[in-house]
Amino acid sequence: MSKAIIDIEHLVKRYEMGDEEVYALRDVSLTIGDNEYVAIMGPSGSGKSTLMNILGCLDTPTSGKYLFNGANVAEMDDDDLASIRNREIGFVFQTFNLLPRATSLKNVELPLVYAGVSAEERTRRASEALARVQLADRMSHKPNELSGGQRQRVAIARAIVTAPCIILADEPTGNLDTKTGQDIMSLFSDLWKAGNTVILVTHEEDVAQHARRIIRLRDGKIESDTQNHHA
Amino acid sequence: MPRLSELQESFRIAVDSLRVNLLRSILTTAGIVVGVVLVVLMGWTIGGLNAVWEQTISIIGKDMLYMDKWDWAGGGNWRELEARKDITLNQAEMLKLRMESAQFVIPMARKWGGSVVKGNTSLSCSITGTTSDYGFTSAAATLDGRFFTTTEEHSAERVVVIGHGVYTSLWPDGNAVDAILKINRVPFRVIGVLQKQGFLFMDFIDNQVFIPLKAFRAAHGFYDRSFDVALKCGSEAMLDVVRTEAIGHMRAIRNVAPDAPNDFSINETKAFDEQTKNIRLGIWVVGIGLTLLAFVVGSIGIMNIMYVSVTERTKEIGIRKAIGARRSSILAQFLIESALLCAAGALIAFPIAQAIVAGARFTAVDVLEQDWARVISPFIPLDLLVIAVTVSVIVGLLAGFMPALRASRLDPVDALRYEQ
Ligand SMILES: Nc1ncnc2c1ncn2[C@@H]1O[C@H](COP(=O)(O)OP(=O)(O)O)[C@@H](O)[C@H]1O
Ligand SMILES: [Mg+2]
Repeated sequence: MSKAIIDIEHLVKRYEMGDEEVYALRDVSLTIGDNEYVAIMGPSGSGKSTLMNILGCLDTPTSGKYLFNGANVAEMDDDDLASIRNREIGFVFQTFNLLPRATSLKNVELPLVYAGVSAEERTRRASEALARVQLADRMSHKPNELSGGQRQRVAIARAIVTAPCIILADEPTGNLDTKTGQDIMSLFSDLWKAGNTVILVTHEEDVAQHARRIIRLRDGKIESDTQNHHA
Repeated sequence: MPRLSELQESFRIAVDSLRVNLLRSILTTAGIVVGVVLVVLMGWTIGGLNAVWEQTISIIGKDMLYMDKWDWAGGGNWRELEARKDITLNQAEMLKLRMESAQFVIPMARKWGGSVVKGNTSLSCSITGTTSDYGFTSAAATLDGRFFTTTEEHSAERVVVIGHGVYTSLWPDGNAVDAILKINRVPFRVIGVLQKQGFLFMDFIDNQVFIPLKAFRAAHGFYDRSFDVALKCGSEAMLDVVRTEAIGHMRAIRNVAPDAPNDFSINETKAFDEQTKNIRLGIWVVGIGLTLLAFVVGSIGIMNIMYVSVTERTKEIGIRKAIGARRSSILAQFLIESALLCAAGALIAFPIAQAIVAGARFTAVDVLEQDWARVISPFIPLDLLVIAVTVSVIVGLLAGFMPALRASRLDPVDALRYEQ
C-alpha cells in the first residue's frame, strides 16, 4: 500500500449529555493511503459523521491517536488545525454549506482568502475549479439561483480549489435526486482518477459501490473493511 | 495576525452585513450618535469660549500690566493684602518718572461701587479717574466719540468716557455723545463711548466710566484711596522686562526691605485665565460625564446587536472555520463590523452636531444680534471629527470584543450544525 495520509489508532469519541455518556466512536483504528477511494457506510447514528469530522480536523477525539501525513493532530493548536483544513483538506457537506449571499466564484475563492492568496490569483484559480465541475457559466450566480446539483458542484469546486491532498464528503448525494447524485459521484470518480484521495460517507449501497474500499461502521466500531471489486 | 486578504474579506463582510441590516444598524448606533454629538458640541463650546475669551483679552490688552495693592488672581491672603499700605498718587507719579521700558505709565484712581445718574435713572458702575495716556491703550478704543485729551485732563474738565455697558443701559437708543451724565451730583459731558470689551461672564467690565484724574479728585477725593498704575508695555514680549523694572522701582519707592516680599501686586490679564480654566473644566466634566453615559449606553446596544449578529451567523462562522478561517480572522471580522457600526454612528452624528452648532451661532449672531459671537466658528473643526470617529471606533472595538471572541471560539462542528 502507498504512503499513509491518515493513520488512526484506538480512536474514541465520547459525548457527555448530562449524566449520560454517549460513545460515538469506540476504539476505531484505520489507515488510509494516498489516492485511495474510500466509502464509509453504516446505519444512522453509527458514528460516520463523527469520524469524518475528526478526519477533517473539525473535531478532536476524546482519546486515541491521529496522525495526519505523519503529524500528530493532538499536538496541534487551533490555528494549525485551521491551516490543515484550509490547505490539506477539502470538505463537501450534505447540505452544501455555501454562503448564501456570495456568488459561486466568491464561494469558491473563500478558502484562498484564508490562505492569503492575492485577489487576482484567487479569481484565476476559482474560475479553473469551477470549470472543472462544469460550472464555468455559473460563476456570478448566487446559491439560490442554482439547482441542488449545481450547488453541490460549487461546493466541490470550493473543496478542490486549494489542491488539498484529501477530499472528505459527508453524504454528498443525500439531498439530491438519484440522477443528480450519479453526476456528482462521477465527479468524485474523476477527482480520484486525477490523483486525489477521496473519502465519502454514505448509507446508500449504490453510492458506496463507486469506491474501491468500503468501511462499515456499527455502534461506533468498524464492522468490516473490504476492497470493492465491483467498481 | 489575519492576512491582508482576510482583512479585506472581513471588511467586505462587515459592510455587507451593515447594509443588509441597515435600519437595525442605524437604530443601534443611536447611543453612539448621541455620544458623538455631545463630544463634538463640548469641543466646539470650549473652542468658542476660548475665542470669545481671546477677544476680551486682546481688547483689554495683552501688553498691559497693572500695579495694584490687590491681587486679581486672588493670590495671597486677604488680610495680608488689606494690611499693605495704599499706593499713593505720589508713588505712582514717581514710578512714571523712573520707568524707561514702558510705553505709558498711567495712574488710575478707582471707585468700584460708584453710581452715575442720567435724568432720573441711576446706574451703579465703576468710576475711574486717569490720565489722557489711557487713551493710547487698546482698552480705550471707542465706538463713538473719543478719549479725553491732555488739556482736558489738566484743566479737570467735566468730561466722561463711558463703557459699553453703561451706554447700552442708559442710552438704549444710542446718541450718548454730548449728553449729560451726573457723577456725585456733578454733571459731566459724555465725549466717548468705549467698544464692548467683556463677553459672556466677563460682561461686568463694561460697566465703567472714565474721567480725568483731577475731576475724579473733585468728585470723590484721593483720601484713603489706593491707586493702580497701568503699564502699557507695547508688546507681549516686553511684559517681563517692564515687570522687572517696575518691581525694582516700586520696591525702592516704597522702601521695601531687601529680604521682604513685594508689598504690592503686578496683575495682568493672564490672571483671568485661572477663572476661565475653571469654567472650561466645568464644561469638560459635565460634557465628559454625559458623553461617557451615552457611550456606555451606546456600547451596551452595540454589544447586544453584535451578539445577535454572531448568533444569526453561527452557521456562516462554521462554514468559514471548516474551510480554514482561523480564530483571528473571525475575531477580526466581527471587530471590524462593530467598529464600522460605531464609525457609521459618528458619521451620522456629525451633520447633526454641525446643524446644532450652525443653528446656535445663527441664533446668537443673526437673531439675538450678539456681535461678540461672531468670533465663534460656525463650523465644527476637522480635528473634532477625527477625534469623534477615533473614539467611536475604539468604543466599537471594546463593545464588539466579547461577541467577537465568542464567535472566534465557536466549535466548528457545533456551528455547522446550527440551524436558525
Ligand atoms: N454533539 C453531540 N452531542 C451528543 N451526542 C452526539 C453529538 N454528535 C453526535 N452524537 C451522537 O453520536 C452518535 C454518532 O453520531 P453521528 O456521527 O452523527 O452518526 P451518523 O453520521 O453515522 O449518523 C449518535 O448517537 C449521535 O447521537
Ligand atoms: Mg451523519
